[in-house]
Amino acid sequence: MTAIETKALRKEYKETVAVKGLDLCIEEGELYSLLGVNGAGKTTTVKMLCSLTAPTGGEAYILGHSVTEEKCRVKELVDISMQETAVGRKLTVEENIEFYAKLNGQRKEEIEKTKKYVYSVFGLEKEAKKQAGKLSGGWQRKLSIALALVTKPKVLFLDEPTLGLDVIARRELWKTISALKGKMTVILTTHYMEEAEALSDRIGVMKDGELLFSGTKEEMYEKTGKSSVEDAFIEIVAGGEENA
Amino acid sequence: MRESVSRIITLTRRNIKEILRDPLSLVFMIALPLLMEILFYYLFHGLTCQFEMKYLAPGIVVFSQSFLTLFAGLLIAVDRSSSFLTRLYVSKARPFEFISSYMLAMLPLTLVQSVLFFTVGGIIDSSIFSVGMVWAILISLVTSLLFISFGVLFGSVCNEKSIGGVSSIIITGQSVLSGMWFPVEGLSGGFIKVMNVLPFKNATEAVQNALSGSGDVLVPTLIVLGYTVVIFALSVFIFGKKMKAD
Repeated sequence: MTAIETKALRKEYKETVAVKGLDLCIEEGELYSLLGVNGAGKTTTVKMLCSLTAPTGGEAYILGHSVTEEKCRVKELVDISMQETAVGRKLTVEENIEFYAKLNGQRKEEIEKTKKYVYSVFGLEKEAKKQAGKLSGGWQRKLSIALALVTKPKVLFLDEPTLGLDVIARRELWKTISALKGKMTVILTTHYMEEAEALSDRIGVMKDGELLFSGTKEEMYEKTGKSSVEDAFIEIVAGGEENA
Repeated sequence: MRESVSRIITLTRRNIKEILRDPLSLVFMIALPLLMEILFYYLFHGLTCQFEMKYLAPGIVVFSQSFLTLFAGLLIAVDRSSSFLTRLYVSKARPFEFISSYMLAMLPLTLVQSVLFFTVGGIIDSSIFSVGMVWAILISLVTSLLFISFGVLFGSVCNEKSIGGVSSIIITGQSVLSGMWFPVEGLSGGFIKVMNVLPFKNATEAVQNALSGSGDVLVPTLIVLGYTVVIFALSVFIFGKKMKAD
């Protein structure tokens, strides 16, 4: 089944066009990386797909539900981990999970199951009683992503999940993200090409609000004649500049 | 409706924990005003009427509430800058529920402030123990809404770094324009007019008059409520817009 479908999706602000007629199709269970330089329109696209920002044109569907006309249903299906570490700093890890579960309508028994599930995926149990603000950057980011799993979303958006983390913490987080593959549809936006290369089933390249490429990394190599995602990305983006 | 109430309770509990676990908030909202109440009474009472406990205790209660602006604003600004609110907005929670939770989280704190400062005032000067004290505590809950509304408004438009400076306008306004530290009779007519139009002196007078049982309580309370309604409506509007923009 198609998890995400967009048709000519567009977002205009007063003086800029952030997303210009995006056509995208992502299948259920895929891990799809959205690459692009700053201002490419990745975060705006993610926000429209989560019903956080209304598109100014086109249409988008999450598992067949319109992001504009069925916002409530869409919000039940998706969750997001933003590039900032979005946790309750003075709450413990356990309290953060309980809080987010309660906010999403879970009852006591369900919350206990959720805690066990999240602990098992992220290995957070040993940090459960610590205040989130006192954890290391890597653990805080893990918790931030873990909270997005509390609602057991069908589609998970990870916006720059490893931004600012050291190489060890980043590799740790890669393992966690890899473990999610196949269990849900994951949309990953990142500036780290090796991250996209290691984790993705398919890759999309955005520039100036347009999708320049969408396909597997092998297709990316074939199209550009390069042998790494980073080189292929530069070729696609620079090629776009030359064409422009 | 039931779901909405449940979300407000959940959010309120979280906000209370965030505030109570910040030692600075307890220092500024509880310890500092308490110290001022005791020190200023023993240093200055007898010099001017402002330092008689029947005026000082209500003044301290309302002054301590001005710090609610800072800490409510800070909590919201941090939640916004860390994208915590964006994350919560993906849940079904609505702007009104968020704002209600920030305001409700502050009410137990302001109740503690009022009861504590009046009780300590009463221990120092037992003449203020009266039915008027209960009335003054209730009126102080109303005046606290003004400062919390300011906090929600500032937290919606300011970032984590600027919120301290902007909130200090309210804290300074409450200090200088409330008439709690000096007699206003000697001031120029224009200055007194400004003080009467702004909510700070009215908030202090409403609580002072409620405690003493003399003077008008209704008019100053209504003026404060008027400001509160306008600022609250503005903060709901701006908060909703900022949530979408963030």
